[in-house]
Amino acid sequence: MKLTLNWLKQYVDFDWTPEVLAERLTMLGLEVEGVRKVTGEFEGIVVAQILTKDKVPGSDKLSVCKVNDGRGERTIICGAQNHNAGDKVPLILPNFALPLKPGEKEPFVVKERKVFGITSQGMMCSPQELGLPDKVNGLLILPADAPVGKSFAEYLNRAPGDVVYDLEITPNRPDWNSVIGIAREIAALTGKALRMPELRNPESEADSEEPVAVRIDDTGLCPRYTARVLKGVKVGPSPDWLRSMLEKVGIRSISNVVDVTNFVMLEIGQPLHAFDYHLIGRGKDGKPTLVVRRAAEGEKFRTLDGGERTLTHEMLLIADEQKGIALAGIMGGQNTEISSQTVDVLLESAHFKSTNIRRTSKTLGLRSESSYRFERGSDIGICDWASRRAAQLILETAGGRLAGGVVDVYPQPVAPRQITLRHRKVNELLGIQLRPEESEFYLGQLGLKSIGRKPKPVGAESPEVEPVTLQIPTFRVDLKREVDLIEEVARLHGVDKIPSTPPRGAIGSNPHDIVHDQIAEARRLLTGTGLNETQGQTLVSKAECGAQNAETVALANPLSSDMDVLRPSLLPGLLNILRHNVSRKNGDLALFEIGRVFGVATAESLRHTEERRVAIALSGQRDPLFWSGAERGTKFDIHDLKGLLEEFFEQFGMRGAVFNRRANSTGLFVESAAIQLGKLPIGELGQLQPALAKRCDLRDAVFLAELNLDQLLVRRATAKSFKPLPAFPSVRRDVAMLVPESTTHEVVLQTVKQVKPANLESVELFDVFRGQNVSAGQKSMAYAFTYRNPERTLTDAEVNAAHTKVVEAFKLQLKAAVRE
Amino acid sequence: MAGLTDEIEPLKQAALADLKAAPDLAALEQIKGAWIGAHGKFTALMKQLGTLPKEEKPAAGKAVNAAKIELEAALAERRAQLELEAALPTEPTDFTLPGRRRTLGRLHPLTQVTEDIVRSFRKIGFAVADGPEVEDEYHCFDALNTPADHPARDTQDTFYVQGGTDSKLLLRTHTSSVQIRVMEKQPPPVRIIVPGRVYRRDNADATHNPTFQQVEGLYVDKGVTAADLKGTVEFVFKELMGDDVKIRFRPHYFSYTEPSFEIDFTSAMVKKMGKDWLEIAGCGMVHPQVFENVGYDPEVWTGWAFGFGIERIAMIRYGINDIRLFYENDVRFLRQF
Repeated sequence: MKLTLNWLKQYVDFDWTPEVLAERLTMLGLEVEGVRKVTGEFEGIVVAQILTKDKVPGSDKLSVCKVNDGRGERTIICGAQNHNAGDKVPLILPNFALPLKPGEKEPFVVKERKVFGITSQGMMCSPQELGLPDKVNGLLILPADAPVGKSFAEYLNRAPGDVVYDLEITPNRPDWNSVIGIAREIAALTGKALRMPELRNPESEADSEEPVAVRIDDTGLCPRYTARVLKGVKVGPSPDWLRSMLEKVGIRSISNVVDVTNFVMLEIGQPLHAFDYHLIGRGKDGKPTLVVRRAAEGEKFRTLDGGERTLTHEMLLIADEQKGIALAGIMGGQNTEISSQTVDVLLESAHFKSTNIRRTSKTLGLRSESSYRFERGSDIGICDWASRRAAQLILETAGGRLAGGVVDVYPQPVAPRQITLRHRKVNELLGIQLRPEESEFYLGQLGLKSIGRKPKPVGAESPEVEPVTLQIPTFRVDLKREVDLIEEVARLHGVDKIPSTPPRGAIGSNPHDIVHDQIAEARRLLTGTGLNETQGQTLVSKAECGAQNAETVALANPLSSDMDVLRPSLLPGLLNILRHNVSRKNGDLALFEIGRVFGVATAESLRHTEERRVAIALSGQRDPLFWSGAERGTKFDIHDLKGLLEEFFEQFGMRGAVFNRRANSTGLFVESAAIQLGKLPIGELGQLQPALAKRCDLRDAVFLAELNLDQLLVRRATAKSFKPLPAFPSVRRDVAMLVPESTTHEVVLQTVKQVKPANLESVELFDVFRGQNVSAGQKSMAYAFTYRNPERTLTDAEVNAAHTKVVEAFKLQLKAAVRE
Repeated sequence: MAGLTDEIEPLKQAALADLKAAPDLAALEQIKGAWIGAHGKFTALMKQLGTLPKEEKPAAGKAVNAAKIELEAALAERRAQLELEAALPTEPTDFTLPGRRRTLGRLHPLTQVTEDIVRSFRKIGFAVADGPEVEDEYHCFDALNTPADHPARDTQDTFYVQGGTDSKLLLRTHTSSVQIRVMEKQPPPVRIIVPGRVYRRDNADATHNPTFQQVEGLYVDKGVTAADLKGTVEFVFKELMGDDVKIRFRPHYFSYTEPSFEIDFTSAMVKKMGKDWLEIAGCGMVHPQVFENVGYDPEVWTGWAFGFGIERIAMIRYGINDIRLFYENDVRFLRQF
């Protein structure tokens, strides 16, 4: 909503600077989104009167004058000779510029300056200095009736400067979509009166019969319809004041009649429409007839903007007996448009149901200043006033006369709403101490009328003041219950006066609280393993999810095919992040993300599923750049990822996870393993398919893992208990053996487990070797066995006895060639 | 045999000179063996003590022992000296060389800001709550006093999701939907915050991403006032943005709070940005209709809610000028936080 300072001042007096006004509006809830100054002519020049004139001591030509500028006295040094005490002259105030003269590049800015020790506070002007044609030698002496203090521009009827404000109007306050609505707020804040424009347009006596018949078929969608007819108007350009006012707030001037309807809409907030009276079809009685009806399904209608619209039965039309002539509340029709040939005008001022206008406007994709106001809720009480105001302005700007017989179809007048306010509630909710009179004063300022008090409940001992019942003006469609009144009190009292009290009260609790900490813990553990956290997009493309073969939840109204589904896994997003980084030469990547993924509704869960996951990606060099060492430049491999998971699992309290190699490649992985807790799958890890890596421009091998975090949270065991540190020494025995390639570490451990060697504390693999001296299909594995008894020192004989059993089992069961 | 006692001193001196002159640890061990080892010269002297007459033994023994202690001390001193020399690298270490780093990963800046927000709320008794991101219209709009056809729905362009069997499913446009879910489940009082992802149908640009993150705060209790809201907001923003932060409330409109406010803040940093105030959050007293929708009695309970964007806080705090950086996850970006 745009309005100007001068326009606002037509309805309420205030002497704030433009900046203060912006601040006050903002603090009322009218956020100022933009302020634009429009420079006027003769800015800073006022009509002033010379009070005294004396010689400047030490100068022949200069005089020193006391001058009244309408606000106070100023001292002015003047070089002209033609002025006397009592004369009225144009006076330019300091820091304002004289009009630019031909040949000048920069205008001359008048400053306060000292002349012969006297400070001159401005300059009295000659016509030449003002660029005026008057031939005078010296100052421009104004007629004696020139009003002192008046702006010179106004005095000469020149365009004054103005300030245009662009306000953000919240959807609850349709009454603010009008200049008077905003003036009303300022009046309420300052206590000054709101000046409504005076209405004076007696209806013509000549035709007492109604010039038009109006029939409303659906009063639910159109509870009120008023029509006035203006005869003999002369459609033409608008006068300057009207044109410039509209242009300042960004509305194109069309013609006097149309401009008036727009002006009144901006002034009071009521959208109006003007029809060419003679283009409205006549009914059987020969009288033009308006029918407010629902459109027929599929009915075609051409709106003013030239577009042909196909309507539905849900849409409201203004029609004559034959055809539609306006899309109610949204836009008029081409068939009855005001043109230069128009002589008689029918002026519509009606009220339409907001939700219906909104739906129609949305369905057709057609928005207008009118639909914008109706869909937010217009003031049903103002229809007739707005119609009279517009009629008056049309008569003033386009001539003609008002036909008698005004139509105002308003079958069920809306009774103003009543709301009761309990004063204690104001203080209870706002945390302030306000007296009842103060609250009632503020509400009164906003036009709410007190219509009585409810007596105190019988027997009530409390000193509570009786609740007051207020009548709500029809323009305040937002005031519906007590709390709405409390907000009004808060606004006018000033929300800056609400104190701030330190936090107090109940301790909160929620089942998720602990989960939040567990997720935070997982994040910190993962950063501890050297991974950087990422946060990818939730919305990804279906195509990117193809490799995982997951069913995806699709958006019904995606912005683009890049983001048309909810991620079924974190991995596609993580691949995008890898791609982004590699393309920017960040090739060494160790990343993780914790986030939600989405699954489609199934028979068991009617809703789409949401699951938290952890995903990890490794690619490029394992260690940061260093200038020495054999491991320099080593690239990540699958064991880095597995080790990282093992460390994470241990620290996070996940015991018993097993990694089962998948026999075959998958869409995503060239080689991979499922991670399981018993039979429960909790994730997977693997190496990305080279074809996919290539598609993402990834050059180094990429290792990915994804875990179901929700499962980890459920399964983790965080209880810890202390085991005494060993008091007796341990004994180590190593075994190095050649085994077939197919013998896994897991099989070796199982073998040891079956043997159950006495006093065995731990088994650790410390070498796997292939090649030199190891025949193909074989590998060498070396294990360290640690034996310890918690209660005594073991003897060699004991250890050897136990260890021999293990070695024998390896030879027998694993066909191992043990190197002894 | 006075000669034996006289031999002690010259022998000791010769041994001391040898020890002192030992060029390295290996030589020192040899010298030790040559003098006080099992077959050393000094040991040999000690062995001769037994041959002395009985009355000379005590004095001679004392003298020999004293000399031996002296030699051992000299040996230890020289050894320590040589060990120190041996430990020194041949070339002095260049301490300006970069070290061998064990890098820790970093938390995403949005995570860090969220954690800071959560921490400051928890100091004053808030618990963290959570809810689904795929929501229904009831929890996202209707229950929050924003019925269909309400103009307030305009400001939030919503993604709808295909499928699902209950009412129309959508991606939540704000975390406020969790207010409803928590109040439906839990009787008052309630004191929660809800960090989480939300979605709006905006094309990505420097200030928009279809996915972004919010924190919602809700406090319901007896006798909760707007002044409490102000006090809490002030506390949290001072914790987050520094002690010099000042807060301003402006009247505003949200369908689920009444009265509603927008919160502006200012600080030395804001002034440096050339602004008087920066809009940072929205808030208000929970609308009685919302309480009625979840079965709380608005005559008994009052409460407030507020919400703000996490990206916005992070952008102001770190001077980040493009929201998309958060979701690109360029490691050069991630490593800055």
